[in-house]
Amino acid sequence: MTSLLRRRARTADPDAPVISMVDVGMTYPNGKVALADVNVSISSGDFVFLVGPSGAGKSTFIRLLIREQLPTAGEVRVAGRDLLRMRRRHVPALRRRIGIVFQDFRLLPNKTVAENVAFALEVTGATGIQVRQRVPQLLNLVGLHEHAHHLPTQLSGGEQQRTAIARALVHDPAILIADEPTGNLDPVTSWEIIQLLIQINQLGTTVLMATHNQEIVNAMRRRVLALEGGHLVRDEAAAAYEREY
Amino acid sequence: MSFLRFIGFSVVRAWQGFWRNAMMSLAATATVVLMLVLLAGLFIVIAGLNAGLEFIESKVAVTARLVDNLSDAPRERLIDEVEALPGVASVAYVSPARAMQRLEDSYREIGRELDLGDPDSPITLFASLEISLTDPDASGDVGRALAGHDDVERVLTKQAEYDTLLGVINVIRTVGLVGIGLVGLTVLFMIINTIRIAVYSRANEIEIMRLVGASDSFIRWPFILEGVLCGIIGALIAIVLVAAIWDPIQPAMVTVFQMPTAVSTQFLTTVSLLLFAVGLGIGAIGSWISVRSYLGAGR
Repeated sequence: MTSLLRRRARTADPDAPVISMVDVGMTYPNGKVALADVNVSISSGDFVFLVGPSGAGKSTFIRLLIREQLPTAGEVRVAGRDLLRMRRRHVPALRRRIGIVFQDFRLLPNKTVAENVAFALEVTGATGIQVRQRVPQLLNLVGLHEHAHHLPTQLSGGEQQRTAIARALVHDPAILIADEPTGNLDPVTSWEIIQLLIQINQLGTTVLMATHNQEIVNAMRRRVLALEGGHLVRDEAAAAYEREY
Repeated sequence: MSFLRFIGFSVVRAWQGFWRNAMMSLAATATVVLMLVLLAGLFIVIAGLNAGLEFIESKVAVTARLVDNLSDAPRERLIDEVEALPGVASVAYVSPARAMQRLEDSYREIGRELDLGDPDSPITLFASLEISLTDPDASGDVGRALAGHDDVERVLTKQAEYDTLLGVINVIRTVGLVGIGLVGLTVLFMIINTIRIAVYSRANEIEIMRLVGASDSFIRWPFILEGVLCGIIGALIAIVLVAAIWDPIQPAMVTVFQMPTAVSTQFLTTVSLLLFAVGLGIGAIGSWISVRSYLGAGR
């Protein structure tokens, strides 16, 4: 597995945060404040939970990190890059340093497991040889090599999420963002996915997981960022899920 | 190598997209064929009429019928005077005997014999000067200069025929271009719509491509090539159709429009290249507009 996800000391300054938000605000044109005065710094190799009720700003937080949106105030830096100053043509390179998985998996239903993973390589210009080497490695990593030729409809929810994780890892990203990855899964399968994320994190990939799952947050005792009404109301290491909102 | 990979990826995706959205793609292709066949028809007719115009220009532009029994000396003087007029290229004297010979030849060409009636009272044709011009527009001035001359019985110019043909060409050209413009807009709309539907039907793929770091080129070019594919396939079908009806058309090009055979053979190549270029161009423009409109806000 270490050969698959290279242990990383990727940024020029190893102590520099891999994610940094300074006084970040996001107000939509209709006046709705999604984020206000958010200051966050996440070091390389961290495993961080992002919690908060619906509408707290978690999705906006994630969209800012992948530069799907730009903040209306403050500064966002990811993997050493200032996203506000980043030119549009450099965004694809940024996104190859960030893997992302969603609650609804977002797999292509007409492609097999292997094809879904290969697709992420093909559309970024990988050679046929690179695709043929990388896809089986990733399917082994997530334990899906036996399902390589199955369509998503022939898989369980957990297997679909594993496929999505394999796809998110194709470019060996510095950061893995998981947006409610266990939201559609039963408790046992959820834990399997969490174990996989821990395994990936232990190899040096920074993991940011947005979740409502109190049981998982309490059991893991990792750093928790709690958002409420667009404000960061708690940033605590080795924390539990608290109903402060 | 990476560029070739990109081209290969885009072409394969465009081909897959064309057949995945087959109904719309084929409908757009059919409109391209319709437009290009109309364009070919217009091009052929206008080129033929232009050839006819050139034929008229190349023939004698002004004919001056001479008075009867004009002797050699005044005739030579008249020729010198005409040659000195501005816009005159050359002057040729046609004797009554030569004029009669031409008339007989023209009857023979259409398989008839010229009946001159009673041999005891022979028909005599006018002697004339056939004047070629360097500039067809000078025929009016030359005609007016000769009209009052004592040795000239009557002046005939091709100006009226020329003006009529030019008027016909202009009307056909205008009506044809307006018609083709309207069909062209329909084609453009069809291609824009086809690509729009393709973009919407692959919204999930596009979103995933963006999230995994695909560049704009990888996202956009397959759609642009899909539109180009509609244009190229439509152009190839139109070229095959025109080539198929070319054999019956070619004699008409040669006889009706006085277009030489060598030119008309070369003409098919020109028409084919035109159809291919227009098909490719309209496919590219339509899909480009669509991609700009529906993928323009891509992040």
